[in-house]
Amino acid sequence: MRRLVILFLLLAGLRLILPLGDPGRGSQWLLTLGFLILAAYSVGEVAVGLNLPKVVGYLVGGMIFGPAGINQVTAEATAALEPVSSLAIALIAYLAGAELRWEEVRERWRDILRILTAELGLTLLLLTVLLTALGNRLPFLEGLDLISRIAVSLLFASIAVIHSPAVTMALLSETGARGPVARTTLGIVLVADVVVVILFTGALAIARVVAPPAAAGLGGPGLGTITWELGGAVLVGSVLGGVVALYLRFIHRELFLFAVLIAFAGVVLARLLHVEPLLMLITAGFVSENVSLPEDGDALRNAMERSADPVFVVFFALAGAAIDIDIIRQTLPLVVPIVVVRAVGLWAGTRLGSRWAGTPEIGRYVWTGLVAQAGVAIGLAKVAAQAYPDRGLQLQTIFLAVLGINQLVGPILFRRALARSKEAAADPVAVPAGAPGR
Amino acid sequence: MTALILLLVVAGSYLAAHVAFDWIARRYRIVSGAEYLVLGILLGPQLSGLLSPDTLTSLNPLITLALGWTGALLGSQLVLPVLVRIRGWVYRVAFVESLITLVLVTAVELFVLSWTVGLHARDSLVPALALGAMATVSAEAGISVAVRGRGPRDPLVRQFRVSVAMNAVVAILAFGLMTAIVHPAPTLITRAPTTTEWLVINVAIGLVGGALFHLFVGEERKPDRIFIAMVGAVVLISGAAAYLRLSPMIAALVFGMILTNTSRRSSELQAALARVERALYFVMLILAGALWTPSDREWLLPVVLFLGIRALAKTGGARLAARANGRLEELGPNWGRGLLGQGGLALLIGLNYLQRPDLPVSNIVFTAVVASVLLTDLLSARFAQSVFRPESTLAPKPGPAPGSDPTPEAPDEPASPALSGEGPAPAAERGT
Repeated sequence: MRRLVILFLLLAGLRLILPLGDPGRGSQWLLTLGFLILAAYSVGEVAVGLNLPKVVGYLVGGMIFGPAGINQVTAEATAALEPVSSLAIALIAYLAGAELRWEEVRERWRDILRILTAELGLTLLLLTVLLTALGNRLPFLEGLDLISRIAVSLLFASIAVIHSPAVTMALLSETGARGPVARTTLGIVLVADVVVVILFTGALAIARVVAPPAAAGLGGPGLGTITWELGGAVLVGSVLGGVVALYLRFIHRELFLFAVLIAFAGVVLARLLHVEPLLMLITAGFVSENVSLPEDGDALRNAMERSADPVFVVFFALAGAAIDIDIIRQTLPLVVPIVVVRAVGLWAGTRLGSRWAGTPEIGRYVWTGLVAQAGVAIGLAKVAAQAYPDRGLQLQTIFLAVLGINQLVGPILFRRALARSKEAAADPVAVPAGAPGR
Repeated sequence: MTALILLLVVAGSYLAAHVAFDWIARRYRIVSGAEYLVLGILLGPQLSGLLSPDTLTSLNPLITLALGWTGALLGSQLVLPVLVRIRGWVYRVAFVESLITLVLVTAVELFVLSWTVGLHARDSLVPALALGAMATVSAEAGISVAVRGRGPRDPLVRQFRVSVAMNAVVAILAFGLMTAIVHPAPTLITRAPTTTEWLVINVAIGLVGGALFHLFVGEERKPDRIFIAMVGAVVLISGAAAYLRLSPMIAALVFGMILTNTSRRSSELQAALARVERALYFVMLILAGALWTPSDREWLLPVVLFLGIRALAKTGGARLAARANGRLEELGPNWGRGLLGQGGLALLIGLNYLQRPDLPVSNIVFTAVVASVLLTDLLSARFAQSVFRPESTLAPKPGPAPGSDPTPEAPDEPASPALSGEGPAPAAERGT
């Protein structure tokens, strides 16, 4: 409560000095960013008091002070802070990759693939059926025949099945969870990022054949493009990871600065080489962690983890500021069934998959970690909107509303599941770096 | 493409510094830092053009953040309980030396700039004062190389540390005063604030920010949470001061000082600030090099005189200050040589000057500080070493001179982080 009062005092102070200033030279973005960090942090602490994940607090903080709320952080400011957000997600992706140990992957890959296949397959199927059934009620399906409706529904579903590595990482960091539920969820979420991009490409290709766009769109990515985006990401990420390992082996200095540089390098390289940035950084993190000597890998990961908390605050606060409450309100009757069916698909698919993998006990909890959505999904929705200029925008709008709800609900469910599975540490700060499973 | 280049610049300079320069520094007693600056110049628009002016302009907020961060770190080192344990004459010597350098360089540059560049006397006061402020700054990097193996209670070591901190504070205040004096009128209000009001606003940003942050952090003990709040507060305070076209360093200095003196967790706060400062410092050196542009006006005389008068003011001023306080024998006649290193804070002030396009002869001002950093980084360790000749340090401790403070040294003088050099003092170590 004290922090919220101080926050409102700060807000009043900002309002006081705004007429005295110079809006040029980017200093107002710095002002905005500083306020956003403190605001999101405060709301995050309130969320903890309410037994909610901090991530939810950061998101809500972004919503309250963002364009949808009191507009202290304007849409223009959110756009200007986009590079900060990119850097943040890059750090998160690298950290996520670095969390995976080769021995662990070798031990769990069958479980992960089975659960992934079941949950993705079932969710995709259920969502496609639901959307097709909703038919003309959905603006982006209006006026289509059944086959075209199925194809476009499949396209939407292929985006809607995606998960959020950022939320998973944030929750693991917050709770200190390191058990089988946490590790399996992280594995599924990371692999799903790759699988969904492939799924989306296939769905888009089918949709374009079955239901060609009325207006000429920019077209979707071709097979060659996708192959390079994914294969190239693995390749470039492996090289980057190798370079990191060499650096750690022979130089091993200024790791904090180096950690930020890696993230920056990843973002820039991905843009220049047209590869999937998250996959590239996940791969880089995975390779560097597994090629380096254990103490070297731990040192870099610790350096990154030291900067992770402010990164989470910035990333999720900006994500929250981007949530459009108006859109959610307007599309709520359409969005709620989609959110519910998706959740049912994840729940049932994970239960089925975990039985198939012979680990039914973790199936009860893992699905909760798959509910949240972010990052990649927004990018894919934009690609769909470009490919279908006539109805893609409506698809994107509905999807963003779905994402907004899942982004808020997902972390709450996952945190509860980690607590119930007794994997959340009583005091996450006390979990030592390099502890088993890390 | 520019982003990739920036990345390569940073990575390359980083490797250059830590692989090659470390070796050279150890072997030839050269203080690390200049190599980043040279690399920045090589890759900036003046030489290779790999870093475009647009890219450099877009990094303005980063410079502002670095200014604020350094100011906050410096402020956090001013721990009052420690400061009051230092004898008064140490401050007097430091302050007199700072003032002599500030006044002398400002006065000479005021005259030279009016004469060579043809500025009106009132207009040349601004760059002259900026140059004076930059000249006042001393780096501790060279001193740190020279004092290895000596305890923090060595009178000369202690004097150096206090002088370096005093120089930094005087320089920041002088430059902040200048930004308050030469302040463009805001367009959205009917009456523009006066200089005094701007100065009060500048200090108030730090004061209010520090007080609110103290309440905000409360009894928080977890370093990660303190770090998040600290990042937000420094970004906010720096952004607010820069938005008002005031000095982010003054605001952050006050902020840091309040924080460290009101919080029970001052060591955690200092550590949190020090964690990022080093990374920012390296990036700033590269940016400073890249942003340097040679002046097409009469720059040679002001720059050469800046170097010469500064050296004179530092050595002569230090001797004068020691003599005036009856400590000449204790500190030695040439102790001011140890203060010749220029360092990162001066560069940051120069960058702050560059951020204000309305200020005159920014190229000359910046050229002077870049030249000074390049030159003194190469020589500062040797200069400092020359002060610590065996005969000067191993001589029996002289009694107090007539008229000096006869009180014996307090036995518990600062074994403290900031001014004793035992704790995280990166700003002082490398720049201030």
